[in-house]
Amino acid sequence: MPYYAKSEDWLHQSALLLQARPSTTRITTRYHLKPARRVPKPKKSDATTTSTTAQTPAPPAQKQPAVQPAQADAKPPRGHLVLKTYDPHSGVTLKYKTSKAAEVTRLVQMLGTLGRGMAGLAAEPVAAAAAAAVGGEDEVMVDVAGAEVEGGSGVQTPAAVGGGAGGAGAGVGAGGKEQQQQQQGGGGGKKKKRGKK
Amino acid sequence: MGHLTHDEFFTKLADVFTTRRTKAHGAVFLTQKRLSHNTNQQPTPSDPSSADPLADLHPAQPLPLLVRATNGKGKADRAAKVKLSTVVEPDALEGFYARYAEVCKAGMTALKPRDRTKRKAKAKKRKGGAGAGAGAAAVAAAA
Repeated sequence: MPYYAKSEDWLHQSALLLQARPSTTRITTRYHLKPARRVPKPKKSDATTTSTTAQTPAPPAQKQPAVQPAQADAKPPRGHLVLKTYDPHSGVTLKYKTSKAAEVTRLVQMLGTLGRGMAGLAAEPVAAAAAAAVGGEDEVMVDVAGAEVEGGSGVQTPAAVGGGAGGAGAGVGAGGKEQQQQQQGGGGGKKKKRGKK
Repeated sequence: MGHLTHDEFFTKLADVFTTRRTKAHGAVFLTQKRLSHNTNQQPTPSDPSSADPLADLHPAQPLPLLVRATNGKGKADRAAKVKLSTVVEPDALEGFYARYAEVCKAGMTALKPRDRTKRKAKAKKRKGGAGAGAGAAAVAAAA
């Protein structure tokens, strides 16, 4: 019962599951609110407060850790969104969890694409995305194996990397692993700035 | 309970979200699945292990979708339970999901808003640099 780190992965796997079992698979979206209750010193709230103090331009923010409880009290309830694809016949469960409002529209669009597959429509977007993702992922896996076995010196590896990069570019997500592979393979693709974080 | 039309479904779903917001507690469940039977109201579990186990993989014509929404109340609180369901015909999928996205986005207000502090900080830095540059230019002009 994995939680996927990226919604694209969830979409891809769910599309595959839907292809396999279109009539029994269901997708449940759970949106739940939790009253924001903070224990005085959880690590997380420490991190958030430090980050906020770092980001707030106001100078007095540096010398006031006492503000923390007040902030915690003032916090509105936090919502979470969990997407779950479940097939009761095989027992497969795929999940994705987020708490970002910015993702909602995209996620509902994903529900729409999956809904197309569910309805038995031709579902070009799903098929195309899935195919691209499959291609990219497969080739990445090949690259990983190649890099590990050959030490990245194979003649065929750069070609495969180029193909993988193309697939990833056409597909939805370019993961950190892919970027690594691209770099190892001689930088076939454009590097993303996101990788620097 | 019969299925609702899309309009009713969305209005009631928005109500459910509003209730969540005012209570600041609880959950909303949205489910979608293929409507695998034609006319009955009773859901019959489709059986992939029957005569043609792969018949459902390639339906002759597109099937409608069943979309459900509940407020997550169980047996203990049956009276307060809200159950909504609607059927989306394959040709109405696009429009339905467009509205669905709107309603969800409007309803899920407790999620974290996009963090703009970083961008703001960057803008400020750039502004500061530009100010310094302008100052230098002014100095140069004065000279």
